[in-house]
Amino acid sequence: MRALIFSVIFIFSMSSFSLGAVISDIDKTDIELSTRFDGTSLLVFGALSPENDNTSLLVEVIGPSTSVDITKKVQIWGIWVNKKIAQFQDIPSFYKISISNPEHPILKEIEYQKLKSIFYDFLETNSTPEDDNGVEQYYHELTRLKKKLGKLSIFEEKINIIDKKLFSYKVTLPKKIHPGKYKIKMTLIDQQGIELSKSEQSVKVSKVGVQEFLSSNSKNNPVFYGLFSVIIALFLGFSAAQIFRWLYR
Amino acid sequence: MQIFLPIADVPVDLFVLLILGAAVGFLSGVFGIGGGFLMTPLLIFLGIPAAVAVATEANQIAASSFSGVLAHLKRRAVDFKMGNILVVGGLLGSAVGVEVFRIVKSYGQIDLFVSLCYILFLGSIGTLMFLESLSTIQRSRKSVNTFNHKKKHNWIHGLPFKTRFKSSNLYISAIPPVVIGFIIGILASIMGVGGGFILIPAMIYILGMPTKVVIGTSLYQITFITAFTTFMHATQNKTVDLLLALILIVGGVLGAQLGARVTVKLKAEEIRILLAIIVLLVCLKLALDLMMTPNDLFSITYSNES
Repeated sequence: MRALIFSVIFIFSMSSFSLGAVISDIDKTDIELSTRFDGTSLLVFGALSPENDNTSLLVEVIGPSTSVDITKKVQIWGIWVNKKIAQFQDIPSFYKISISNPEHPILKEIEYQKLKSIFYDFLETNSTPEDDNGVEQYYHELTRLKKKLGKLSIFEEKINIIDKKLFSYKVTLPKKIHPGKYKIKMTLIDQQGIELSKSEQSVKVSKVGVQEFLSSNSKNNPVFYGLFSVIIALFLGFSAAQIFRWLYR
Repeated sequence: MQIFLPIADVPVDLFVLLILGAAVGFLSGVFGIGGGFLMTPLLIFLGIPAAVAVATEANQIAASSFSGVLAHLKRRAVDFKMGNILVVGGLLGSAVGVEVFRIVKSYGQIDLFVSLCYILFLGSIGTLMFLESLSTIQRSRKSVNTFNHKKKHNWIHGLPFKTRFKSSNLYISAIPPVVIGFIIGILASIMGVGGGFILIPAMIYILGMPTKVVIGTSLYQITFITAFTTFMHATQNKTVDLLLALILIVGGVLGAQLGARVTVKLKAEEIRILLAIIVLLVCLKLALDLMMTPNDLFSITYSNES
């Protein structure tokens, strides 16, 4: 099936492609977060027409935005207490970037520029650095913690390139992800990192079933949710009393 | 089997939760305790946020105490007038407690706050229980049990707003029950406990209620208070995880039934010493978690979900 899709894309791409272009598709557009959700993966694939052998393909997966606090544990009277030290406003809850050519000459530069435009520029200005490391420390902790939680991956995964014209890339998503729109951006760059062509796909990640019912009502109808929780609990308590009275009659 | 809890926002193993619910339910059946003060810390140890653990535990206790009070209603072992006065104080206490909870939560220190409250309560109650049962054992060995249970005329009887409690055969002021109820309401909302371990001794020793109506009346009040606390947490803090509560209720009911039918070949004092040791161990673990140098000094939290 995959081979068939690839060859179709390949044939079409040959006729309509200008030099240095990328087209793409994705194997699913919806991901359902049920109570049993345990992580998933999706396949991005497509065709590219390289300008020359020196082009590389970047694939970025960008999750919905959230604000993030960085807290540090400080010791007060022998007890470790959380202290908020920095805040990043509206940064992607999930970010993954991969490149087809891990030997790209300015890989480090690309990494820095991406992290800067995605994360670092969104540091709240009133966060005052507590030591000489300054804001660099916040950047470092943010990326380190995000990587640790599986919410950030930089050039760790491989993009399959077939015959310099087709690509496929398997995106794995962890079990704890934020619902919302996930953008998948494919960018063809040259040796200097200049963009030659772009293509974008998106996946909608949404809670379903019990997960959706409980979390949306808890947020949007708290009065209903509160009453519902109490009634369910009382009903179960009543049922338990009845059942066991009947059993041990 | 992994399941994802919608409000706690963490994946947990369903069977671990069921077994935990059943184990605490079993202990509560054996010891005749509510179990909230054990379950809330255990949920925190499992990685469930303290705010969710407390609010959800209140929801679970609403189920278990309602189930319990029904049996006592049938036996007419509930002093409704006393119960209602306790409920009035309890509702006030719960409202105050939930508001305090909300404020502390907004400062991002709720985990610490809940842990400190637990260390304080478990530490003092565990120690008291341990020492008391130890001395009871020593006394019983000398076999001179001269415990005088005669009703005393204490300061309680000097307070105004006196009223008659027929079922309890008492004529006392309404102020002490309101105050006791208020304290229970605070405990329920801040710690996710029914508060039976404070309420029952208070009813016997401070109010002087006869033991035959104490358990039923305390369950009567606890049902109201935990139901109200659940509602308040759901509306003020949005921290009630109904899925988690359901699992714990199912596990807890089964465990409690089992526990109540097990004949424990232990003396009352020995049971209490055992319970005191469990309480102190949980307290110690909470204290160690606060004092030990964390593996990672830094952490990230999502401040506002969008």
